[in-house]
Amino acid sequence: MTTPAQDKLQDNSLVVKAVGVDKYFGRIHCLRGIDLDVRKNEVVVIIGPSGSGKSTFLRCINHLEKINGGHIYVNGHMIGYLERNGKLVEDSEANISRQRAEIGMVFQHFNLFPHLTALENLIEAPMRVRKIPEAQVREEAQRLLVRVGLADKAEKYPNQLSGGQQQRIAIARALAMKPSLMLFDEPTSALDPEMIGEVLDVMKELAHEMTMIVVSHEMGFARAAANRLIFFDDGLIVEEGNASTFFDNPREERTRKFLSQILH
Amino acid sequence: MYFFDWAVFWQYLWPPTAFLDPLIRTGVVVTIVVSVVAQTLGVVLGLFAALGNLSKFRVLRVLAGAYVWYFRGTPLLVQMMLLYYGLGVTHIFDFPNLELGVFVISGAIQAGTLALAINEGAYMAEIVRAGIQSIDPGQMEAAKSLGMTTGLAMRRIVLPQAAKVIIPPLGNEFNNMMKTTSLMEIISAGELYFAFNQINARIFKPFELFLAVSVYYLAMTTVWSFIQARIESGLGERKGIERGPGTLQRLFAGWGGKGAR
Repeated sequence: MTTPAQDKLQDNSLVVKAVGVDKYFGRIHCLRGIDLDVRKNEVVVIIGPSGSGKSTFLRCINHLEKINGGHIYVNGHMIGYLERNGKLVEDSEANISRQRAEIGMVFQHFNLFPHLTALENLIEAPMRVRKIPEAQVREEAQRLLVRVGLADKAEKYPNQLSGGQQQRIAIARALAMKPSLMLFDEPTSALDPEMIGEVLDVMKELAHEMTMIVVSHEMGFARAAANRLIFFDDGLIVEEGNASTFFDNPREERTRKFLSQILH
Repeated sequence: MYFFDWAVFWQYLWPPTAFLDPLIRTGVVVTIVVSVVAQTLGVVLGLFAALGNLSKFRVLRVLAGAYVWYFRGTPLLVQMMLLYYGLGVTHIFDFPNLELGVFVISGAIQAGTLALAINEGAYMAEIVRAGIQSIDPGQMEAAKSLGMTTGLAMRRIVLPQAAKVIIPPLGNEFNNMMKTTSLMEIISAGELYFAFNQINARIFKPFELFLAVSVYYLAMTTVWSFIQARIESGLGERKGIERGPGTLQRLFAGWGGKGAR
């Protein structure tokens, strides 16, 4: 077993800082004061039973969900809110969009734009949001397609691609914005088993040089690429640690029980 | 005993002879032009009303809701009278004739077109809204996660996809629109039905004349259904959606058997 290289974590600067994040859905208190720091180039894998709040927490980081308490900072900027007279007010849409542009997100169901080709999916946001000239964007998009192994699929529409190919395009689409942080929301759970490997390979490659937060139950990926594992349950962080202590020697009973369920 | 006068019927059905009557000549042009203009305006109004309806701003939602509520909930005929005579008699707006070079667009045509457009907008609002809501919310989320604002995501990601859902019912709306222009007769706008009604007042051959004018409308809607089928199959080919029913199936949908819906 290889442990992920620690030397990429030389830079101690924080990319994500979450402080006491609270989130309610109606009367359900689904995040109960989450604190989390993620350093530059760190790869954090979040596991936990469904309904534990792990995906919700991920979606709060780019403000796809509003939070009801606490603060989330990405690269030192508070996400989604402004502090005005000691009270938090939601930021303007333009500012929130600018913040989101720095945060890549990969969804469980890919959410590729079906009316655009693979290449067009990649160049849309860099052109329209970053206003980079089309020729330059196309060139970079081609490089990204090579990187995810789909250079020959540039002109295909999403419905002409397999699930694994679609998810790799979705990763490339997020990377095309040159984000400083990548969020993966159960990126392989909608895939047929034979396609999971190709997506994880791309993610492992990426893990060498990216700050990533990954909600996933792929324990192989966690062992190979995660610097830290976090176990969510009932809106709380129950346990965290590096892969070997986490798997081989979990402290908490709840963690042990959950691991035994997913590892069979 | 009523004797069907074939000579009159053919005279007013067969375009080369029918078009000798200036009423019918202008009537055909007015009906087609008004249909296209009113439908186009209706789509634009409907798009704005739908976006208003889905807006996060309460004021816009209320305005759009009231618009759709009123104009779908009252008869078009009444709306037309209200707009033309109501605004005219109070001198809020007199609908003066509009002179465009050799053409003169009468106030009645303007008022009628406007009424048709506003009424159509209320129906299109619902069609557009349903189209937008049929798109997976994940599309909007993905667009936002890439840094797009709601407006940009709507324009570039959601609406192009919703268009595929909107276009088939839009075609049906236009079919309706061509027939509904006949209501403009009530304000003497000079469209096709008005023309035949005037001729009937002159020669009193209602069976022949109204049968003839019905064929005119049938011809227009039939031509349109062929165009519509072309448009929809074009959509299907490019974007990989299912093919709609063919033109013949569409025309004779009520006849049962294979292909009927």
